Amino acid sequence: MMTAIVAIQGVILIVLGVLVTGLLRAYASVLRRLHDLDNGGTSGFRTTEGVATPRVVAPEPGADAATWPVAHDISGAGLAGDLIAARVLGVPHDTVLIFLSSGCSACQLFWEQLGTRRPAPGSRLLVITKSPEEESPAALRQLSPPGVDVVMSSAAWSDYRVPGSPYVIVVNGRTGRVRGEGSGTSLDQLTELMRVAGADAQPPAASAPGGVRKPRADREREVDVDRVLLAAGIGPGHPSLYGDPGTDEVPRPAPGRSLDLVAAEPPHPGREARR
Amino acid sequence: MSETTIAGYGFTIRLPDGWEGRIFRRPTPTDAFTPANRNSPDPDVGADGWLGERPRAVVHLADFALPPQRGDYGSGAVEIMGRLNCFVSLVEFGSECRGTALYGTVGLPRVRPEQFGPNALARRLPGQTGVQLFFTESSRPLCLYVVIGSDREVASSSTRVNQILDRVTVAA
Repeated sequence: MMTAIVAIQGVILIVLGVLVTGLLRAYASVLRRLHDLDNGGTSGFRTTEGVATPRVVAPEPGADAATWPVAHDISGAGLAGDLIAARVLGVPHDTVLIFLSSGCSACQLFWEQLGTRRPAPGSRLLVITKSPEEESPAALRQLSPPGVDVVMSSAAWSDYRVPGSPYVIVVNGRTGRVRGEGSGTSLDQLTELMRVAGADAQPPAASAPGGVRKPRADREREVDVDRVLLAAGIGPGHPSLYGDPGTDEVPRPAPGRSLDLVAAEPPHPGREARR
Repeated sequence: MSETTIAGYGFTIRLPDGWEGRIFRRPTPTDAFTPANRNSPDPDVGADGWLGERPRAVVHLADFALPPQRGDYGSGAVEIMGRLNCFVSLVEFGSECRGTALYGTVGLPRVRPEQFGPNALARRLPGQTGVQLFFTESSRPLCLYVVIGSDREVASSSTRVNQILDRVTVAA
């Protein structure tokens, strides 16, 4: 009887052990996926399955712009049989090139979102598909929202070495070089990545959020001290701020005397202020 | 930067640096754009033009980014062009116009600064000036319509417009 109980407990322990191990593995998998969704802590684009890993979207601060691929102007056919030559180089704005196709399931969300939003305000948007020989203009006409510039150009896919669709390339019109490229699951995701990467590429402004700023308490304290000193007649360059040249000590008011008595001495001419 | 050439509908243009172009022909309208349906919430109703209209080739050339939606005479584009920008449109008309006095000029004309004026604009916008010239080239009745972003830049801009017109060929 006792042996049977011990055996059953052993089996239960083994089963529990397997369950715990399985839960831990699942938890690790969830963490890994979350890390991937968070872009692994980098600001570059991420790729969907089957699409080559892209370069990071923004060069490191100070990186030579010449290290980025040279961009190309776009020429091809429109959806209505029109001929299009669009300038990407030597223009004062960035151009966002979104490479899509009619048959790719991952592109469907891009087509839908293009109807309601633009990835980068101030930039020009061009949707690039393969040429009519390799694409279905009729299907693209169904997919393309009104007001979206679609250029059918296999040459552009070749020029920019696009590994698959969906794929986004941002071209700096002034430098004529690619600013960033990559893929994603939706236009929203890429828009956010472009925004973050664009901000990363800029030198931080003095008042930029996240920059080193003086704590509010310090600022208030300094204002209070300045106010007291100015009320006592002590401004920048006042000799009381520099101490006695011989002793290198700062004169202090005697106990019971206020600062304005110290400040009553005339300033020393020719002495430079430290601030 | 390399020179880009676009060709279609009998037009060939070698685009200089900084210029882009479109050659297109609107689809033949299949419904009438009438006072009854012009207020339709459906944006496709009457969007192609007037019933019975026979669209012909249109060429748009500009030294700024052309928007996807444009009128034949540049509406949609001239509103966003800068002071130093130029917009050129070549609009083809039907063969019934061939031989008429309006299209009596033979050959693609060049523009002169004194020809420009705000009254020639399809849509008057502050500072802009333009010119509209009718002619026949390779037996095709055409209209050349040019808009310049600033009337103070007519001399230099008309030179640049003529430089790109030198690069346009029209086949019969």
